[in-house]
Amino acid sequence: MTELHDDPLALEADLPSSLMTVNLGPSHPAMHGTVRLVITLDGETIVDAVPEIGFLHRGFTKSSESSTWHQVLPYTDRLNYVSPILNNVGYIMGVEKLIGIECTERAKYLRVLGGEISRICDHLTCISAIGLELGAFTVFLYGVEARELLWDRISEWTGARVTTSWTRIGGVATDLPPGFVERLRESMPRVMELTHEIDVLLSRNRIFYDRTRGIGVLSGEEALDWGFTGPCLRACGVNYDVRKAHPYAVYDRMDFEVPLGERGDTYDRYILRIREIEQSARIIEQCLEQIPPGPIIIDDWRYALPPKKDVFGSIEGVMAHFKLIMEGIQVPAGEVYVYSEGANGELGFHIVSNGTGKPYTIQVRAPGFPILSALPRLIKGHAVADIIPIFDSINMIGGEVEQ
Amino acid sequence: MTEAKTVRLEIDGKPVQADSRDNLIEAARRIGVAIPYFCYHPRLSIAGQCRLCLVETSDAPGRLVPGCQVRAKEGLKVTTTSPAVKENQRGVMEFHLINHPVDCAICDQSGECKLQDYYMEYDHQPSRIRTYKLNKPKREIFGPVVVYDAERCIMCTRCVRFMDEVAQESQLGVVQRGSWSLIATFPDQPLDSKYSGNTVDICPVGALLNRDFRFQSRVWFVNKSPAICTGCSNGCNVYVESRGDRAYRLLPRRNEEVNQVWMCDEGRVTYHATNEGRVEWARAGKGEAAENVGPKLAVDRVVDRVRPLMGKGGIAIYLSAQCTNEEAAAAFLLGREIGATRYLTGGKPPGDSDDFLIRADKNPNTKGVRLVAEAFGAKLEEVKAGDVIAEKALLAFRTDGLTPLALERVELFIALEQNEDLATAHADVVLPCASVYEQDGTLVNWYGRLQRTWPSITGSRADAAGVAATRTDAGVASTGRSDAAPGWLWAERILAGLGYTHAIRTAQMAFALLAERASELSGLTLDRIPDEGVVLASQLPAEWPKRAPRPAAKPETRGPQTTPPGAKVGDEASGGSR
Repeated sequence: MTELHDDPLALEADLPSSLMTVNLGPSHPAMHGTVRLVITLDGETIVDAVPEIGFLHRGFTKSSESSTWHQVLPYTDRLNYVSPILNNVGYIMGVEKLIGIECTERAKYLRVLGGEISRICDHLTCISAIGLELGAFTVFLYGVEARELLWDRISEWTGARVTTSWTRIGGVATDLPPGFVERLRESMPRVMELTHEIDVLLSRNRIFYDRTRGIGVLSGEEALDWGFTGPCLRACGVNYDVRKAHPYAVYDRMDFEVPLGERGDTYDRYILRIREIEQSARIIEQCLEQIPPGPIIIDDWRYALPPKKDVFGSIEGVMAHFKLIMEGIQVPAGEVYVYSEGANGELGFHIVSNGTGKPYTIQVRAPGFPILSALPRLIKGHAVADIIPIFDSINMIGGEVEQ
Repeated sequence: MTEAKTVRLEIDGKPVQADSRDNLIEAARRIGVAIPYFCYHPRLSIAGQCRLCLVETSDAPGRLVPGCQVRAKEGLKVTTTSPAVKENQRGVMEFHLINHPVDCAICDQSGECKLQDYYMEYDHQPSRIRTYKLNKPKREIFGPVVVYDAERCIMCTRCVRFMDEVAQESQLGVVQRGSWSLIATFPDQPLDSKYSGNTVDICPVGALLNRDFRFQSRVWFVNKSPAICTGCSNGCNVYVESRGDRAYRLLPRRNEEVNQVWMCDEGRVTYHATNEGRVEWARAGKGEAAENVGPKLAVDRVVDRVRPLMGKGGIAIYLSAQCTNEEAAAAFLLGREIGATRYLTGGKPPGDSDDFLIRADKNPNTKGVRLVAEAFGAKLEEVKAGDVIAEKALLAFRTDGLTPLALERVELFIALEQNEDLATAHADVVLPCASVYEQDGTLVNWYGRLQRTWPSITGSRADAAGVAATRTDAGVASTGRSDAAPGWLWAERILAGLGYTHAIRTAQMAFALLAERASELSGLTLDRIPDEGVVLASQLPAEWPKRAPRPAAKPETRGPQTTPPGAKVGDEASGGSR
């Protein structure tokens, strides 16, 4: 009796096959933020992919319309929930622009300081996840240890690890607590040490290198066409960073570089984040050196809540407090677009006011949205196993993509 | 008063056409420029007391003049935004707040307080006062309705002027001087005017408070909706403020031809009947045997008892003048179908009256019920004290005015009623009726003004009256906190149970029953009644109480219609109001 494997011709013959459509996610642990990918496979090769968002829909715009200007802040925490302070700052800058006020000098430094700590947390999360999902569990533990150190500092400072809601119109909610600078200066070297460990473990690791180098390549031009910003754009060699191109707060006083990639592949997107962590650490140190004393919020009771002493002790204070809380801060009618450098790129807020205590509407330009749109382009032609590192490296955040 | 002329002036560089009788505040209001004020009130004399409305004019360069006192004048240039004006507003606010207590958290006025609004708009600065605030009387009981807090008072004297000029009972005055000034009543003479509640409404701060509403609810929690007061036949336009299934207060709503901007104290408390002593559940049986059976079974019971009597005579329908026109129309329709032989009416007993807003007839819709009866060609007989109703069966749409004596010989008594009373205790079936404040409909006031009232109470009782009612019709048990429904809906359910298909599903449909039969109303629908109401010319009285507000010279009057019913009524063709 002739077995199939006895026939040399049968072994060489093409296997009869057809395209296969499979779901990746939305509840797959590697599909961060519950995104669903409908991928069409030819064997192991990806022929097509459709990212489907909406499983984390938060109704950001609609919720904002029925909240006072400050009540929107907690919603912004949950946009990019890994770096909430950057969202807080981006949103509040828009409201301040509508009103036509500037926050105090100290608040500007605090916002930059908080923002850069958040950026490090965000980048650490991204690179730890790449490591984790490529089998390097150690990297994840190192990354999370570093991130926890920073989140401890943030929670001492703002009262919450991630749900900070920390900025205020005209300033910020809380000043640095006593001993914070010293503790941050103790934490930062450890954070940088752990980042360095990750760098050493991954960047020259044969397996990691082969899994990421030349995978998910995009040229600078194409990235611009897709609307990329942030690390993913800079990995393609395009020098655009809102902090340098349109400096806000005190970024024009900071000495830092914008690292650039060369090939625009997964490896570049990874290594760029490591380099950016180093730059953020420089900014943090400069902030701590330069930060001036002074008030953390403007002294104008039309916008800033009066101090508690005045609220409980004077009719003026209690009335200002009442009106600000019950009816909201009265923001003049108008329309603005403000943009800042979020952890994943340009975070834009389009805010419309009709002159009342609540926004007429707010739309968010989430940096992750155009980048996620390009995911099919990035993964097409690669193997199934490449989806995860590519998807990790674009660092899609459900909260901001699906508002 | 001088002849009205149109004058042109300039306010903040913008041209304004104003009436020569306007003061600068009213002239500025015409173009949306707000001049702040405490003491000015359009219906009271000018006091110039608060100094907040000072503006600059071209007539007096370099000094400020009160916008409340200066009249609009041809060619006048007014500035309301100059640094001097702004600095005055800030300074005045600061003065007003020197002795004001830190009371917002416990003050009923919070949220509708002009001090709060103006402070944020014109002052918004910390206190500069480093001494103690003056202590003054905190809770002076002025009368049955009003309580006074002298510390909160800013001495605008609106209340004093109201009592002098509108209520025309000078019961309030200013005593003491300077910072120690306060409003006071005369010794042993409480503020017991029947209009005293209005002083609370016009008080710009929390100094005068209504004892009925005090500490009952924060003002930002209540829903405000327009309605008509049911206290007497004057038909004052009001706002009902409610939360959940409870009404909290009534406030006068502006209608120059009915109540101007005032209402009486008696009217203010009519909402209590909506909150308390309600018939909540449909029930069948008397005394011990009474049982809450739900709307479906109760209607079945009515149908079972009425059907054998139909066409045999001996059925009377009673209509209280507390019913809306819609309830009355549905009642007459029901009466016609079941062959009622007699239509009776009555209502709350007459009370005191005056020459201003209070009418002796304490029912809001006496004229309306008669109008509906006419439209249906029915003869309406009044039940007087001591009358005994001779019919075997009586179906009462609200039982106001029905005494146990009148019901003595009635064998089958079906009552639709809002509140438990002596009559409901005698009823074989009681169907809970929605309050006027809970339903959509129309009422006709003492001089023939047809006015719309809207449902106000948003909570579960209103749900039971509206949405859940349709569910219960389908045989599902009521899930609301009450079975209460408008009278027209009960009539519709009974009619449906008897096999008639009139399908009165909304107040609009119930109003149409009336509009298609009354010549004065033809072409009118519930939703097309103007907010200020429609005057029915045929109802206008020959004599008017001296100060009672009445329709303007060219009233929105509807005479008998020349266009046939159902024809499109345009602006010219109607011959009536629109």
